Amino acid sequence: MSLRPYLTAFGLQWKIGLRYRIAVVAGLVAQMWFGAVTLMAYASVYHAAPDVQAPLSLRQAMTYTWIQQSLFTLLPLGCLPAIGDAARTGAIVYDLLRPVDMWNWWLSASLARLLGNAVPRAVLLACVAGPLAMLVGLGAWSLAGPASLISATLALVSIALGALLSATIVMWWNILTARTLSPLGSYAVGTPLAVLLSGMLLPLPLYPDWIRPFLLAQPFAGITDIPIRIYLGTPIPGGVATGLGLQVFWLAALTLLGRLWMRQTVNRLEVQGA
Amino acid sequence: MQTPPSPPDAITVSNLRKTYRIREGGSWRGKTRDIVALDGISFSVPKGQIAGFIGPNGAGKSTAIKILSGILRPTSGEVQVNGLVPWTNRIAHVARIGVVFGQRTQLWWDLSVAEGLALLRDIYGVEPERFARNRARLADALDLGGIMDQSVRQLSLGQRMRAEIAASLIHDPDILILDEPTIGLDAPSKLAVRAFVHELCRDRGTTVLLTTHDMHDIEALAERVIVIGHGRILADSPFEDLRTTTLSERILELDFHDTPPELTLPAGASETAREPRSLTITFDPRQIPAPALVAHVGHLPGLDDLRISRPSIDEIITRFYADHAA
Repeated sequence: MSLRPYLTAFGLQWKIGLRYRIAVVAGLVAQMWFGAVTLMAYASVYHAAPDVQAPLSLRQAMTYTWIQQSLFTLLPLGCLPAIGDAARTGAIVYDLLRPVDMWNWWLSASLARLLGNAVPRAVLLACVAGPLAMLVGLGAWSLAGPASLISATLALVSIALGALLSATIVMWWNILTARTLSPLGSYAVGTPLAVLLSGMLLPLPLYPDWIRPFLLAQPFAGITDIPIRIYLGTPIPGGVATGLGLQVFWLAALTLLGRLWMRQTVNRLEVQGA
Repeated sequence: MQTPPSPPDAITVSNLRKTYRIREGGSWRGKTRDIVALDGISFSVPKGQIAGFIGPNGAGKSTAIKILSGILRPTSGEVQVNGLVPWTNRIAHVARIGVVFGQRTQLWWDLSVAEGLALLRDIYGVEPERFARNRARLADALDLGGIMDQSVRQLSLGQRMRAEIAASLIHDPDILILDEPTIGLDAPSKLAVRAFVHELCRDRGTTVLLTTHDMHDIEALAERVIVIGHGRILADSPFEDLRTTTLSERILELDFHDTPPELTLPAGASETAREPRSLTITFDPRQIPAPALVAHVGHLPGLDDLRISRPSIDEIITRFYADHAA
């Protein structure tokens, strides 16, 4: 089996993601704004209660926030837009007419779309919130460097797994879209789940003690939370290996179950007509 | 891998049935009911033939087309397309067919026609030289030169349909399935599409299965027409045979410069309309040949002009559907 169709699907969505340059700038401004507001909120909370031993230091909470903001578009907020359009117009039948493995075909496209959106934003925001902020004397509010070289390397591995995991969750939204023939459900379910459970709203390490193990064990933690913890060098229960292990586990589980769900969905489309 | 002996027919269908289960009352507690879309149809299409597939809305045409394309599974029956069973060998099957759904688009709205074709080259694994050859040939035959670099969303419907047809043929499929390819097109675009399909079949031996509601498509293209209604095949013959068996009558119109006279007509002819200055006579040429009828009325006093016409293809098919309660 040739890889070319999948690389092609990847290349196409990567290009489409990059095409919206104004959206990148607009998104950057919005994320800087939200980041700055969040940082000020943390600063006042941390200064109001200096005796409390928080699981993250103020500096770490700030860095967590900056990375989280810069990776916002990496979250699985809903289905791949192209699949949403195809479901609405009925052009989705053409996807069944291509000589390709539909899971890999849609997965490559979904991954490319996430990366095409996230990579330019992440690089830009990291430059602004990191070196640039330090240069203009806002070092205390800036994105701090990694805990160590090893943390940085492991964080890179972890973020790669996170991107793949996110694309795999997008696949579930894609299948939902193909079943309901509308992209709306996937956004209604996907956006709140992803924003809340990824730690975008509040870093997962800052939740109450009793709920933290559950939050770490759910799949959305593997997208950005685990990579950020590795970057910061904050302890993960069971160590870095557990963090990476959780990512691999969810990747495998969601791929396996997702492929079954997809086969069942394609069968249903084939039985009932698209 | 051993290649199976190629069958003489490009498409064989035998006793194909498809029932849909629908829920009544809309709620999930509602009763289910089976709707028969295809009630045991059989036909075969030899290689290189253009077969027209017609029938009123809801007759089962689309269901049959989807099954042959490999995107719908029948309830029972056998189908072989290029020697493959479409729904069990989906990937191998779809690599060898081209499909155009006239009401949907397979090209990418955000991309130019050229970029879309290049993507399809990669999806179907078409070698670069073959791709260049096919692209040049299709661009020439479908007059795509001027629109290759335009994005698909900017194309007119006629331009887009020509680009869609090129997209369905970039991998040299043996079989082309066209589902209402001329819907919404203006007259020149319709003629261009018809001419192209005709040449494709003649020059490359591509087998074409065509569904349409435009009977002129059928008249211009199809050597053979399969009429489907209520999930069954009502007729399967050359179009001329359908005309002879359904509505062989002719119409004779007579214009007078004064009130038309009363006249007695030979057997097989009857007056069907009378106006202040004209008469319409309908006749069956098997009972009274046209020259004899013309001789009969030719010396009527006050006759200015006369015309003989055949019923239009739309009238024939409407009558056919009515006769079969389709």
